[in-house]
Amino acid sequence: MTPIQMTFSTNFLLGLMGLTFHRTHLLSALLRLESMMLSLFLATSLWALQLSTINIATVPMLVLAFSACSASSGLRLLVATARTHGSDHMQNLNLLQC
Amino acid sequence: MSYLVCVLLFGLMVGSVGVASNPSPYFAAMGLVMVSGVGCGVLICFGGSFLPLVFFLIYLGGMMVVFAFSAALSAEPYPYGWGNRSVKMYVAAYVLGVGCAWKVLLGKWSGFWGGILDESGELLVLRGDMMGVAAMHDVGGWMLVLGGLGLLLTLFVVLELVRGVSRGGLRTV
Repeated sequence: MTPIQMTFSTNFLLGLMGLTFHRTHLLSALLRLESMMLSLFLATSLWALQLSTINIATVPMLVLAFSACSASSGLRLLVATARTHGSDHMQNLNLLQC
Repeated sequence: MSYLVCVLLFGLMVGSVGVASNPSPYFAAMGLVMVSGVGCGVLICFGGSFLPLVFFLIYLGGMMVVFAFSAALSAEPYPYGWGNRSVKMYVAAYVLGVGCAWKVLLGKWSGFWGGILDESGELLVLRGDMMGVAAMHDVGGWMLVLGGLGLLLTLFVVLELVRGVSRGGLRTV
């Protein structure tokens, strides 16, 4: 594996592991989702740049647009949690209790 | 020039370890700003001019700003920085894991960083990625329309779900 591929793959996996082992705040889980999206943007942009397949440069733009959708939905959930539970602590989200 | 790419890749790893270990959201957002800045540097070293610009404007200037002021919702009196003991344990675990993965998977290449292929020499403004994004407007017009409609739909979804009167998503508040 080349160092570039290793870097953004490790970046993605670190974000995923940070999302798995979250601790307290919902916002930090959302930030790790954003770091995963960042690594995907880097990966697709480097695909377009290194292999000189220029039409693939549309993929990072569209991925960025749709990840803005997901980030806004996550922030909406954060605001809803803060309004109903008072804070965004993950241990307050225990209505399901299973 | 390849040493610059090595330094930027190292900065990427450091920043992403700093985000993935569990600090308070203030510091995680700062780590994400660092990772995106360094990632733009990597893209520039590989010949991109428009995509790093778009990334800076939209990701840092749009999304990170919103995350930064949403961090006020997760305010706490003593936020956990990277000097905190539990956060340091996460950092040590992730650095160990990344180091082992690098040693195993990159051991076949020469040295620790291997061979990095980059475009040194000229620094132009009009590069290939700008033409690729122009293709999105040209032949990918319908995808652009779909993306715009999706974003508009997300706007209305967010608006409806945060509204807190009788018919919104938050009925109790």
